[in-house]
Amino acid sequence: MKRTVRLSMSILVVMTLLMLLSLVGSAQTAEDWNEIVKAASKEGKVVVYSTTSRIMAAAEAFQQKTGIKVEAHRLSETELIERVYQEARAGIKSVDLVLIEDFPSMKELLVTPGYLVNYIPPSAREAVPESMHNPLVFAHVSRVIGYNSEKYETAPFESIWDLTTPQWKGKVMIRDLALTGEHQNAFTELIRRSDELAADYEKRFGKKLELREENAGLEFLRRLSENDIIIMTSDTRIAEAVGKKGQEDPPVGFFYVYSKHRDAEAKNLAIEAAVDLKPFAGYYYDIYLQLFSNPPNPNAAKLFADYLMSPEGFVPWSSDIGIYASNTATEHHPQDMPWEWWESRLWTYDPDFAIQNRGIVLDAWIRSVSK
Amino acid sequence: MNPQAFLGRVRRNATPHAILCVIIVAFLLYVVVVPLAVMIKETFIVHPMERFQIPGAMPGDATLHHWKKTFTGSSAGPFFFKPLMNTLIMSISMSILALLIGGVLAWLVVRTDLPCKKFISNLAIVPYIMPSWTMSLAWITLFKNPRIGGSVGLFQYLTGITLPDWFSYGMFPIVITLAVHYFPFGFMLISSALEDIDSQLEESAELLGAGRGLTLRKIVFPLVMPAILSTFLLTFSRGFGTFGTPSFLGGPVRLYVLSTLLHANLVGQRPGMAYLVALVMILMGSLILYMDTKLLGARKSYVTISGKGGKRGLVSLGKAKWPATVLVMTFLVCVTFVPFGVLAIESLTLIPGDYSLSNLTLHYWIGPASTSIGLRTGEAGILRNTEILRALGNSLKVAVLTALLCGVLGMLIGYTVARMRGTRFAGVLDQLSFMPYLMPSIAFGSAFLALFSVPRGPIPSLYGTLALLVLACTVKYLPYSSRAGISAMMQIGPELEEAATMAGASWFKRISSIIFPLQKSSFFSGLLLPFISAMRELSLVVLLVTPGTQLATSITLKFTDRGWYPYTNAVMILIVFAVLVTTWISRKLMGTDLAKGIGG
Repeated sequence: MKRTVRLSMSILVVMTLLMLLSLVGSAQTAEDWNEIVKAASKEGKVVVYSTTSRIMAAAEAFQQKTGIKVEAHRLSETELIERVYQEARAGIKSVDLVLIEDFPSMKELLVTPGYLVNYIPPSAREAVPESMHNPLVFAHVSRVIGYNSEKYETAPFESIWDLTTPQWKGKVMIRDLALTGEHQNAFTELIRRSDELAADYEKRFGKKLELREENAGLEFLRRLSENDIIIMTSDTRIAEAVGKKGQEDPPVGFFYVYSKHRDAEAKNLAIEAAVDLKPFAGYYYDIYLQLFSNPPNPNAAKLFADYLMSPEGFVPWSSDIGIYASNTATEHHPQDMPWEWWESRLWTYDPDFAIQNRGIVLDAWIRSVSK
Repeated sequence: MNPQAFLGRVRRNATPHAILCVIIVAFLLYVVVVPLAVMIKETFIVHPMERFQIPGAMPGDATLHHWKKTFTGSSAGPFFFKPLMNTLIMSISMSILALLIGGVLAWLVVRTDLPCKKFISNLAIVPYIMPSWTMSLAWITLFKNPRIGGSVGLFQYLTGITLPDWFSYGMFPIVITLAVHYFPFGFMLISSALEDIDSQLEESAELLGAGRGLTLRKIVFPLVMPAILSTFLLTFSRGFGTFGTPSFLGGPVRLYVLSTLLHANLVGQRPGMAYLVALVMILMGSLILYMDTKLLGARKSYVTISGKGGKRGLVSLGKAKWPATVLVMTFLVCVTFVPFGVLAIESLTLIPGDYSLSNLTLHYWIGPASTSIGLRTGEAGILRNTEILRALGNSLKVAVLTALLCGVLGMLIGYTVARMRGTRFAGVLDQLSFMPYLMPSIAFGSAFLALFSVPRGPIPSLYGTLALLVLACTVKYLPYSSRAGISAMMQIGPELEEAATMAGASWFKRISSIIFPLQKSSFFSGLLLPFISAMRELSLVVLLVTPGTQLATSITLKFTDRGWYPYTNAVMILIVFAVLVTTWISRKLMGTDLAKGIGG
């Protein structure tokens, strides 16, 4: 008895001590922003890798504002991950922060081994909803299904299943799934929500969906690709092909980034997104802001992160449609709909489910297109 | 052996040449074998994104999963055998076609009285100098049908005929465009083989009453057969590694080949299967190399033995002369000016896809940065865009340095292989220097990032320097110059050097006063291909460039990405132009010959 008491007492003491220690610890880590700003200008430089080329404009504006030099690299999603991965493994200190996409790859290759760390700058603490804090979402990007608005006044299809019918055979364009990680992620969501997909089929055609694959998601992927799908090398080419005026029988663009509509006027394109398509009008994915775990310029990195997460720092992006800041204080583009409107129409993906099932999607895709 | 004797032996054998050999071999082992070993290891390991398909596996575990999935069971078809079949069909038919075009052209130029020969031989090399995807771009612009939407192709626009899918996309255009890109190989190699034929042989045959057909069949063909085979293998091995053309023209009809599969696996975070495909490609390449040396081992010595005969009588084409000329000219114009013109026009249209005169502009060349004109890019025209001009300067620097390094190394390797002919060491060196040729650029670039971005021993970190780019390009293109070096050095008999040694000339003296002057033109020819390749390289360097070391090709990513193709095309034109000018100048000044550069 005595022994138990003593044991519990000592446990209590240890726990209290630990709690105290952690309090002290957190007090020490709570950052003094003024110190960071000072140290940042002493560092005088920050290096960023980004998958969006608008980073160049943001870098320039930040440099003019603070005098801190920004070295910005534009890389594709795979190249960016490969580069951070190789540099981190080799112990090179070259990058400070990244704007990165493709959550599953980022998590498995860079976050889990500890190469990237999450950081919430002051500008994001309040203004970004807490659900987007870990990992910190920089912006959402929407991918839609679009048609030629000169030929069709309204969307010529109501369900995504329409695109698997003979009417649209050899008419649907998509970026190669194998080369587009986000497409693979998005299709895992179709597997996860197979029931909704099957229900939509029944609603549209009044009969039960017959499965040749394991679930409605994979069945859709198979029917879509077997309907003589056209694989294109870029979203730009898809938007141009769909929107070109004067076409008798224009194609349909599947899952291209909505931001391509920004050039519609300049390129004289007639292109419209099928925003009321069932059961989804497209999908969105997130761009994340992460710090490198061992950054050469830790303070300048934080300062730049703070800038990027502020409405001011988002200006180079908000001048475009199709990309939406996670910062709720940021105004959306005047010609675009607010994020909430899009969010209700688009699917996204469940990070864990996507990580586990992405390979299945890629397998199914290569199987059905390789002939 | 006691240490002193050993040291003595080392000292006796440590000629400058031997030391250089050791350094070169050690260097090659490091940059070639290490990446290769890493790739092999990766095929047996579970990677982070692969673990969910292998029950219970953790990243880093050993596994046979990739091998099983690639080669056995129901997945083997789509994941390996079908793309392999497509690759073989593509490469074989394209090589045959390239050989036919190149061979006929070579025969016409060397053996007949075709006019404008010089002009024709100059023009016939141009398709190889242009990036191979230029052809596919031109093909799409000319022959696209409504399948991929947008504006119709020029052919349909003019004739109103809708072309079938098989003509516009897939295997057929891939084979044609690749053949058009690679026929200069055949042209150059077979030309030089035909030139080397002693015409007395033919004359004797004629005196003995043999007809033209019989002479061709019994004399000319057997003599140029080695060159034909060599061309075939060379073209074939170039063809199966190409990525751009099959991805661009095959996509619309869903055609996968090994290179696109490799890319898909790498991008899909499946390095295990990606490297397996890469290894198969390396193996195929090695097999071809082996066949090349086995089948054609005798060729090089043959060429040196055969002296050139006296003035040879040219075959008269008679009535066919002018039709043949017109045909050849039309063909060459189609494969040079047309693709180049398509690029040029695309860089001159204010709004892409609109080919009306009013839409012509120089905005993307010399326009100011503007957010209201044309594509509203806010980027200055490329000729006044400091960023692009600096990148172009970097490209030139890297290409020149790469070429020089490749040239020197190639000659040294050639010298060593020639002097040690027949020894195992020579064979190893020969094959080692050829390995980079067979490695996929993307994988190679990533290996270089891992190898050289941190200080290792005496080598400082090269990250963010042009030196890293030069190094990567040098190793990757060394095969061109080492092949050229070997075939050049094989032609120099050892007597010359032996005589000099007897006279007391040092190794450096022998190299600078005998070997180099003799092989000057071969040396400079060996520089050309590395230069051309480095100028237009992208996938190898994309992981290695930094803002300070941007190259002309990597900087266009920013534009391609956003669909601002006029900028990309304009930069490409500048690159092709720079390459053409360099080739022409070096030909005028140093008598270089691209044919020698590919080991002809």
